[in-house]
Amino acid sequence: MTDSTMTPPRKATKIGDALRRRRNAADLRLRIYGIAAITAAIGLLVILLTTLFLGGYQAFVQTHIRVDFPISADNVDPGDPADGNYRAVVRQAMSALLPDVSTPAETRAIAKILTNNTQFFVRDAVVRDLSVIGGTLTLEVPAADIYDQLNKGTISRETLEENRRVSDQEIAWFDELQAKGAVSTPFNWGLIFNADSRFPEIAGLSGAIVGSFYAILVCFLVAFPTGIAAAVYLEEFAPKNRWTDIVEVNINNLAAVPSIVFGLLGLAVFIQTFGLPRSAPLVGGLVLALMSLPTIIIVTRNALKAVPPSIREAGYGMGASPQQVVMHHVLPQALPGIMTGTILALAQALGETAPLLLIGMNAFITSPRLALWMPPPLCQLRFIFGPIVRNGASLRVHLLAFSSCLHSFSS
Amino acid sequence: MDMQDGNVKMTQQTVDRAMNPSDAIERTIRVQTRDVTVHYGAKQALHGISIDIPERAVTSFIGPSGCGKSTFLRCINRMNDTIEGAKVGGTIKLDGEDIYDPQLDVVELRARIGMVFQRPNPFPKSIYDNVAYGPRIHGLTSSKADLDEVVVSSLRKAGLFEEVKDRLNEPGTGLSGGQQQRLCIARAMAVGPEVILMDEPCSALDPIATAIIEELIDELRENYTIVIVTHSMQQAARVSQKTAFFHLGNLIEEGVTEDIFTNPINKQTQDYIMGRIG
Repeated sequence: MTDSTMTPPRKATKIGDALRRRRNAADLRLRIYGIAAITAAIGLLVILLTTLFLGGYQAFVQTHIRVDFPISADNVDPGDPADGNYRAVVRQAMSALLPDVSTPAETRAIAKILTNNTQFFVRDAVVRDLSVIGGTLTLEVPAADIYDQLNKGTISRETLEENRRVSDQEIAWFDELQAKGAVSTPFNWGLIFNADSRFPEIAGLSGAIVGSFYAILVCFLVAFPTGIAAAVYLEEFAPKNRWTDIVEVNINNLAAVPSIVFGLLGLAVFIQTFGLPRSAPLVGGLVLALMSLPTIIIVTRNALKAVPPSIREAGYGMGASPQQVVMHHVLPQALPGIMTGTILALAQALGETAPLLLIGMNAFITSPRLALWMPPPLCQLRFIFGPIVRNGASLRVHLLAFSSCLHSFSS
Repeated sequence: MDMQDGNVKMTQQTVDRAMNPSDAIERTIRVQTRDVTVHYGAKQALHGISIDIPERAVTSFIGPSGCGKSTFLRCINRMNDTIEGAKVGGTIKLDGEDIYDPQLDVVELRARIGMVFQRPNPFPKSIYDNVAYGPRIHGLTSSKADLDEVVVSSLRKAGLFEEVKDRLNEPGTGLSGGQQQRLCIARAMAVGPEVILMDEPCSALDPIATAIIEELIDELRENYTIVIVTHSMQQAARVSQKTAFFHLGNLIEEGVTEDIFTNPINKQTQDYIMGRIG
């Protein structure tokens, strides 16, 4: 190399200045994008929650009416309290509250201020406590939905009477009850603890919640152990040959199958072939388990792959058997990753609608059994599976059915 | 019976002669290998290695990277079984017993032949559990007190006890590199092995930690048969009584360490030791 070909050392400062500015600007831009994204996410969340709350806060309280029910021996036979004339009891109680009402039609009308199921509430209360027969029973009973709406102001009193669901006379009765202090608006526990009903005032989400819970429980119990066992075998023990390659490709493909196909599979296999009942969380859970199984296997395999081989070597070097190495060292190390993946898979399964529609998980359930943890009354299989078989609704399916109804009405 | 007596006597003699490293080769042979070959798939990694490893001495394998010395070491406790596609040929005998006999329980074998790896690899558990793991899975102890004793004595033998006695329940991964490696040595000794294999145990350590480990190896030699793979010729010269030089999957030369380093017979060995190859 001669002197003439040598270039003088470049000055880093001149070029560096412009470079540094560009670099700093890029850093700043990236940070701004990030902050903007988070702000947008928080903003959207706030908007969502605000609209939900503003639109729905009234559902959290409910109009109740306190009524003294006279339980006379004429209407209720102490020997057979379940078979009493509770319809008459309700009419008598309402007539006592609103003494101006005289005609039979009006007497029937004022009974309808209370929810239709009032007679059953009274019956159940009497059966629970027979000592009230001959005396009075005081209950707070939900008002029928139109009175509830009236009380909450969603039915406007200014609307012309013919355009309104409550007549002026009915408003007058309700105002009279309110003046007597019989009306209260407690927290609407029924929203959580009641199941489906034809009457809005006593309808709740319990059937859907219980159905979703059982379905996801079955899904977890089936998919989690199976998925981990399959992943551990494929990753740690299986020989690498053409068969395991085929299995691996198929598992990866299954993860990409649309969920509705699993619904068809469940319909064909569990319901048609094995004759399991429709609308059952047992079947729903099995279908969801099939759906989340590939995801769980894939994330578990990745978590197992991420365990450093030096840990396995250390285990083998100590004379641990392959099973001991997996159970003592590899699985505990991989567990956080496995749990993250499983939770994501189960969350996806919980939100899944399409496969459940196909196996009839949008059933109308009026009497869910809330307590799986209570001992079954008799040690028979049907009592153990009873709740699982009967509580066949899914929260998500309810919402979807509801919104599709709205769509079909609007279009 | 006579044989055994003879063995005992011989052992006694070797202990006496252990003071003189050059006599190492005359000792009882613990591990005997004949024509050991290893294939990784289609590639042959070892071409017929025959070597005798004497007891209560340090045997070192030296050679350039990729020469097969680690591969050979891993044959001795069948760690190559865990590698997909590895095939081992020839015979390896521990105390006259073929270790590749299909009847032999590999778990028991590995309890008899412990291993220390290149990078310290303590389990992500407490120091105590790291050492107690081996005795637990092999059912070596009958009570908690018994296990405590094994853990303490193993840590003591590895020269680590004084440094960690107040924090036995802290994770082993929180120790320094040199301490971790000594923990791994303690862990290997806790199951009472007869042979300890060390695969470049100091290559990830600084000179001071290396010096401590070398000192430890020298002490352990009195009770254990040690095989060490190293890429540092100085280390081989310092700690071992017998040295074997590997090159390209072949055993080029083996012998008393002093002879190998001062008077190598083979040209390749000479070149390697003089720093001309490798």
